[in-house]
Amino acid sequence: MSLLRYTLWRLAQAIPVLIGIVTITFFLANQIPGDPVEIMLGATPAQEQVEAIRARYGLDRPIHVRYLTYLSGVATGDLGLSIYYDRPVLEMILLRLPVTLLLMLSAFAFAIVTAIPLGVISAKRRNEPADHVSRIVSLIGVSTPSFWIGLVLIIVFAFHLGWFPARGLILPWADPADVRGAATRLEVIRQSAHHLFLPMISLGTLQMAQITRIERSSMVDSLQGEYVTLARAYGVPESTIVRKHAFQVAQLPVITIIGLGLSTALGGAVLTETVFEIQGMGRLIITAINNQDYELIMGTTLVFGFVYVIGVIITDVTYSYLDPRVTYGDD
Amino acid sequence: MSEPLLSVENLKTQFFTEDGTVRAVDGISFDVHEGEIVGLVGESGAGKSVATSSLLRLVESPGEIVGGEITFKGRTLFGLEEDANGELRPRDDMLSEEEMRREIRGREIAIIFQDPMESLNPVFTVGGQLREFIELNRDLSEKEAKREAIDMLREVGIPAPETRYDEYPHQFSGGMRQRVLIAMALACQPDLIIADEPTTALDVTVEGQILEMVKELQTKYDTSFIWVTHDMSVVAEICDRVNVMYLGEIIEHATVDDLFYDTKHPYTRALLDSMPRPDETVHELNPIEGVMPEAIDPPAGCRFHSRCPDAREVCREVHPEPRDLADEGEPTHRAACVKYDAFDVGYDESRPIEGDAAGGFGAGLTRTGGEE
Repeated sequence: MSLLRYTLWRLAQAIPVLIGIVTITFFLANQIPGDPVEIMLGATPAQEQVEAIRARYGLDRPIHVRYLTYLSGVATGDLGLSIYYDRPVLEMILLRLPVTLLLMLSAFAFAIVTAIPLGVISAKRRNEPADHVSRIVSLIGVSTPSFWIGLVLIIVFAFHLGWFPARGLILPWADPADVRGAATRLEVIRQSAHHLFLPMISLGTLQMAQITRIERSSMVDSLQGEYVTLARAYGVPESTIVRKHAFQVAQLPVITIIGLGLSTALGGAVLTETVFEIQGMGRLIITAINNQDYELIMGTTLVFGFVYVIGVIITDVTYSYLDPRVTYGDD
Repeated sequence: MSEPLLSVENLKTQFFTEDGTVRAVDGISFDVHEGEIVGLVGESGAGKSVATSSLLRLVESPGEIVGGEITFKGRTLFGLEEDANGELRPRDDMLSEEEMRREIRGREIAIIFQDPMESLNPVFTVGGQLREFIELNRDLSEKEAKREAIDMLREVGIPAPETRYDEYPHQFSGGMRQRVLIAMALACQPDLIIADEPTTALDVTVEGQILEMVKELQTKYDTSFIWVTHDMSVVAEICDRVNVMYLGEIIEHATVDDLFYDTKHPYTRALLDSMPRPDETVHELNPIEGVMPEAIDPPAGCRFHSRCPDAREVCREVHPEPRDLADEGEPTHRAACVKYDAFDVGYDESRPIEGDAAGGFGAGLTRTGGEE
């Protein structure tokens, strides 16, 4: 099987997973005690009003009918209507998802760009001062909650030093007319990066620390491999051995941890968005749950599930690309 | 005889561990002449592999070469001298680490490791790895190196080398991978190849084929070999001269015929006796008693005395250096055992050792008898 066919096959396999997510979320959300209409209209609403609203959002039909209607809606790209916002769920998601994706991707970019060199240096200079520093930094990183890091960053860099804004996020592709104090595209991008910096560090630190630890131990292993000894015995320069011979083998567990990190980063994004008052998916899902907005809960959960599944697929595909011993599941 | 290609004098390599200093290689001397296969034989832990990695100065921390001299084609691979304060420092003519890497490793001395499963990098193609080393050590272009690699794969008996070139190590069997490693060594056209138990991990039929092939290619390319093994039958098959190692020392050195037909050292004798033979059952096997002591705290006197059937009191006290025991005009035959007249330390008058090796069983019986 080729890499392309393998990727398509993995994507097809994701469909049942997503149906599972929809099903479980649907019935769970409907089991939560309370009533969205009650939340919307207060404790003593008029009977006609309640019925009109129930009819408008389809809440008057039996649960299995609502479930099947919802499933067929999802299949055609219709995620229903948000009770709280009174707008299509899809519209809300398309508004918020780019914000969260921008935050997550920049956090991962930050984590990977810092962690991989740090881990490699640490492994290469094992038990030397550079290694101790990197190990202490990564130990602190894995054991510190991201919201706490966020709060400390805000206190130090936003309030005391005033270097970075404490709240909000601007998308780099936003219309300059909508961004205060920005006349050109370049200005918007600059402001966007400025706003992004603290949340990125806050969300990325845990990932950075985890990747550093795995990179280090994996490189230590790989540098002790017989193939590294062989390369040394054939006069390969040490820098080539680290960069090529040891490095590529060592990246397999790192890829796995990055893929798994995607799921923890989704959770981290919820907290980071709350701390930095960013209007992303994380805050959307919290609003949905607080207001028992069924369709919005399901829509956001489905998107989170989808991002997670995509993360796993990317991990698997990268893995089989890097490691020739991994077959494409056809033996 | 002409100048040897490689000459090792009193080489000492030690490992500085928390438990103490491990004297893995403790003053060995041997040489290798052009076009010959010299064996280095001994049990696991005798220091064979440390000795060979010392030759390339590839001993890793906490190990360190602490003394001796290694000369290869007139160049000093390792050598120390005393400075004004009496401290040891590298001699001026000793090659630098960079010179070792550029001019010796791979280019002049290549190595074949024991485990063909682990020696090849799993994420690169076999051909790519071969080509990289050829490019590096023969200054060829990528294209020429590839052609050379394919030719060499064919030479070591890999069928369809053009296709196999692009395959990964996991697609090769153990024997095929070992052929790849041999091709790697030969393709760099070194003057000396160190083969560190290259057939130990293979099954016997494959081992036979590989030994046969190496002999052929050795004649064709006239490369010298140091063949490290613990298997006396491999020694008989392939070596011209043999060095037998025990606990960091070379205790016997002879031509392969002399070693088998005129064995001097009791340890070599014991090694030969412990070889399984088709006309003996398992019960008739004659293994060497006991285990080799730790190199961290070697026994005083002769290091083999604790397991030696011929050991006498004098063996506990006198540490023998190998001496030439050959008759006038015969090839050198060195052994380090005081039972030979050349040593003259009073072996004949000395009493046999009382203790575990010699009288343990009997002593136990006597004691039981006394209690009754």
